[in-house]
Amino acid sequence: MTGLGPWIVALIAVVAIWVDIPHHRFDLPFGCPGICLRLGDRYIQQEIKTHLGLDLQGGTQLILRLRTEALPPGSNTPIDTLNEQARKVIDRRINSLGVSEPVIQAIGGDKILLELPGVADLDQAAKVATQQAFLEFKVPDESKPGQFKSLEPPLTGANLKPTFVTFEGQAQSNPVVHFEFGAPDDQRWVDMSKQYVGKPVQILLDGRQISAPNIREVFSSGKGIIEGGFTTQSAKELSLLLNSGALPVPLEIAQSTRVEPTLGAEAVRQSVVAGIIGLLLVAAFMVAYYRLPGALAVLALLYYAVLTYAAFRLIPVTLTLAGIAGFILSVGMAVDANVLTFERLREELRSGKSLRTALDEGRKRAFPSIAYSNAATIVSSLILFYFGTGTVKGFALTLGIGVAVSFFTAVVVTQMLLHAMLSFPALRKRSLFGVEERPQGELRQPAARPAGV
Amino acid sequence: MLFRIVERKWWYFLFSGALLVPGIVFLMLGGLKPGIEFRGGTLLDLTFRTPPTSQEVYAVMNGLGHGDALVQRAEGGRMIVRMGQLTPEQEGAVERALEQRFAQDVDRSSQTVSPSFSAELVANAIRAVAAASILVVLLIAYAFRHLGWGAFRYGFAAMVAVVHDAVAVLGAFAILGHFLGVEVDSLFVTAVLTIIGFSVHDTIVVFDRIRENQKLYPGEALNPVINFAVMQTMVRSVITSLTTLLPLLAMYGFGGYSTRYFALALIVGLVSGSYSSIFNAAQVVSLWQEIEDKLRGRPRGAAPAAV
Repeated sequence: MTGLGPWIVALIAVVAIWVDIPHHRFDLPFGCPGICLRLGDRYIQQEIKTHLGLDLQGGTQLILRLRTEALPPGSNTPIDTLNEQARKVIDRRINSLGVSEPVIQAIGGDKILLELPGVADLDQAAKVATQQAFLEFKVPDESKPGQFKSLEPPLTGANLKPTFVTFEGQAQSNPVVHFEFGAPDDQRWVDMSKQYVGKPVQILLDGRQISAPNIREVFSSGKGIIEGGFTTQSAKELSLLLNSGALPVPLEIAQSTRVEPTLGAEAVRQSVVAGIIGLLLVAAFMVAYYRLPGALAVLALLYYAVLTYAAFRLIPVTLTLAGIAGFILSVGMAVDANVLTFERLREELRSGKSLRTALDEGRKRAFPSIAYSNAATIVSSLILFYFGTGTVKGFALTLGIGVAVSFFTAVVVTQMLLHAMLSFPALRKRSLFGVEERPQGELRQPAARPAGV
Repeated sequence: MLFRIVERKWWYFLFSGALLVPGIVFLMLGGLKPGIEFRGGTLLDLTFRTPPTSQEVYAVMNGLGHGDALVQRAEGGRMIVRMGQLTPEQEGAVERALEQRFAQDVDRSSQTVSPSFSAELVANAIRAVAAASILVVLLIAYAFRHLGWGAFRYGFAAMVAVVHDAVAVLGAFAILGHFLGVEVDSLFVTAVLTIIGFSVHDTIVVFDRIRENQKLYPGEALNPVINFAVMQTMVRSVITSLTTLLPLLAMYGFGGYSTRYFALALIVGLVSGSYSSIFNAAQVVSLWQEIEDKLRGRPRGAAPAAV
């Protein structure tokens, strides 16, 4: 604990406090918000901020399930590929809605987690996420009059170029969606018009007919329009959906959660209050019971709180209610290592050792228990993280990080403070450690063992 | 100062039994009340500026064809409505109807879980608890790997303590569910898993000291060794539980309703865990030894076979 140690600890504290400051006025180091690093050809740019989960900032969360059972038989695309394609499509749709910081993640193979902060309209979110937007053009079936059949292979919206909406008809009040096929479907579109000129083609969206216009003449390009009694809104929606592509598989909503932003803000306030009260209670107890070392442990605890919060902002950890609960819980556990050390310290002091020897002995003898106990908690949070979903993961993550950080603060920082204190003669009183002054004539005697052992 | 901790073991077992039996009865009669996550359906959490009566809210739900809705008042002028699964469209219709009927903005949170997904969540929860139990057994086996077959008694005792604590929490929530309608969700499962972790850990600390003392004082009878080990670890165990308990109490009192019962589950488990690690776990080891002595016809209180 000599030499560089204290400087490193102090430096970490300064960096942590800098990270914790809500808004950086000085954008270090290269005038970008947060951290910007260039490692070879990898460029890391990360804004430093507290990431709040949906339950704390409000918004809509959907868990979507891939309805692979609804796929036509014989389709053998791996589910992970379908999942990835679906996420890309949803991502494009969300982007054109202008939602800031959406979360789109795969959970397992067959599910997608979608978080839309600030979106209050569940119905709209559900439509954007689950409308498959599978466009198909069917032609009259000669064997069954009045019915339509798919082309071979089906002519779908897969190769459409970006669509747009215009207003046609008298007074330009009739919105239509313009589309254009890209290669090779543009040629098939032209060929189809040659074959079926004078006959109707059916345009279906997700299996439902939108319109069935007659082909009046042979087309010269891959262009066409969809009319279907649209309103301005629904035409724009269709255009948006077509532009972002069709979902490769129908999706259904397995779970939807919606939180009003005001309720989230209230939850944040309550959690912060609970956290501060918890911290104060622990601090009061430590000082009352362990005196001077207890006070140092409180300093280490503050250090711990600052460092852990910085870790949450840097990693970054998305804080949820359960996550904050894990953090608060870890405050109590953070002092466990101190308790172990101080109990040993008292034992050593009572057995008549000098302060300095007792400190060293206490540290050495408490260390295995501390290491074991922290490892046990970290392992259980790993298990929770691995098996858990959503809430549970958040709790496990903050608990695990909290315990890992506390290991550092309790072992390194508290010890350093204890040793630093030895250089102040006024603080070298045994009574400050909650142990009676060394009685005369009883120097260096081993502790009396309880009878019978 | 030395308590006769082992000698009074039957009193401690009796105390545990008195606390656990009511919970076990309620677990067997009614069991735990599954929350929306584990049952499926829709839950609306409504906050009104001027709260209407639950009958008025029910009338709106019924008018929209959701006659199965259960409307409950909750703290802070909130109204909790539970019903079968609503589609997003239906949910929007309900929300619009409520705002229209009561002529005010209604702060709404809602959760809808499809029945198939809730079945999956239940299966996940069961899998997590099963995995944790297996890991607990492995952890105990590892902690006492040097003892050979002698480890059985320790492993058995640690398992007794874990089951004790898990039953304490499950029982408490079965009772709360019966009388206050408290439901269990994935946070509750998290609490149970966390408690299992705490419990094993607390117990292993005591057993470690027993082992350490047996090495230090070879030839000593088991019961005094256990007494001494429990005494040595008791202070630490109580204080650590206390410092963990304090933030949990703050969370219970001030942390808002979403995490209140989570904090409560942890509090119950933590208190039970401290009790069982001090007053039950080592006592079970002692009991095992006494039964073994009796069966083998060894005098009571003699030194155990080499450990």
